[in-house]
Amino acid sequence: MNKRHKNQRFLICDFFPKNQRGTDKILSIYWFVILTLIAGGVFAMVYVFYGAPYDVRGIESEILAERIADCISSEGIIDSEFFVDGTFNTKISETFNAKCNFNFNVEEGYGDANEAQYFYEVEFYTPENIANSVFSFYYGNSNWKGDCFIKKENDKEYTNLAKCTEKRFYALSEEGNQYLIKILSVIGKSEKNVRQ
Amino acid sequence: MNKGKRGTILIENVVFIILNLLFLSVLVLFLVNQGSGAIVLEQTYAKQIAMLVDSAQPLMLIKIDMAKGKKLAEKNGIDFNNVVSIDGNIVTVKLSEGKGYTYAFFNDVDVSAYADKNDKGDYTGLYILTINKKEEVTANE
Repeated sequence: MNKRHKNQRFLICDFFPKNQRGTDKILSIYWFVILTLIAGGVFAMVYVFYGAPYDVRGIESEILAERIADCISSEGIIDSEFFVDGTFNTKISETFNAKCNFNFNVEEGYGDANEAQYFYEVEFYTPENIANSVFSFYYGNSNWKGDCFIKKENDKEYTNLAKCTEKRFYALSEEGNQYLIKILSVIGKSEKNVRQ
Repeated sequence: MNKGKRGTILIENVVFIILNLLFLSVLVLFLVNQGSGAIVLEQTYAKQIAMLVDSAQPLMLIKIDMAKGKKLAEKNGIDFNNVVSIDGNIVTVKLSEGKGYTYAFFNDVDVSAYADKNDKGDYTGLYILTINKKEEVTANE
């Protein structure tokens, strides 16, 4: 069999080979079927990976908790604005956002434009009684708070829930009273951080 | 060994190898394009800038390496200086024709963003963010 004849045979697709060379051709077809399957798998994985938005809510809630903590106390001493005549200033919640330079406006792209995408809660406890807070205040969408206490056995099923960070630290008032301060920060924003 | 026999290049083997190489090239190109696509990069930069501003303090100057973004913006005919824009507390990154990607930061500071240039006036691929207190800007105005 000359070379020209061989090449002609390769170009003519024969699915029912009668000799060893035909078997090789069938193997090549199988090889390309396998390659196509691999390519399909890779394309699907890449689409799933890059199609899902980056979820930065965990980092965002940690930063928010840190910022709140920095705003409450400096070098372990609670800011004097938290106290009036030796007791807690109940009006601190009204000025806290401005004092800490917080702006919780968000861009378009979230379901309900009026729905706040942030929530934080600050609680003060005395070391003698860490079960009941002596003073607390919060700001934002309190609906998100419930998401923090859902037991997440399988994270994949709960990706749409808000991301939470809880931070605890001790600080002193100017009079020297010790307080345990608990901060809970929550970020909603699931539309821009989770595949819908 | 029979050294006298002439070697032959089988066309089917050559075609098989070429098709395999073609397949691998397409696969690699697809992966590279997906990873450095405008949509992915816009989102990455917007969120990265928002997180940096959230954790920044006034009087800070932050430099961000956006060399990949510069390359893509130039390819899409977008001036690199217009890639990042900050309006209030919302950052927008635009690397292609379209709306771009927006993300909000909660730190209520005055942020200005501009592309860094070298002595020759060419963009270096860095973006510079300057963070200032809002009150100070109002007082200067």
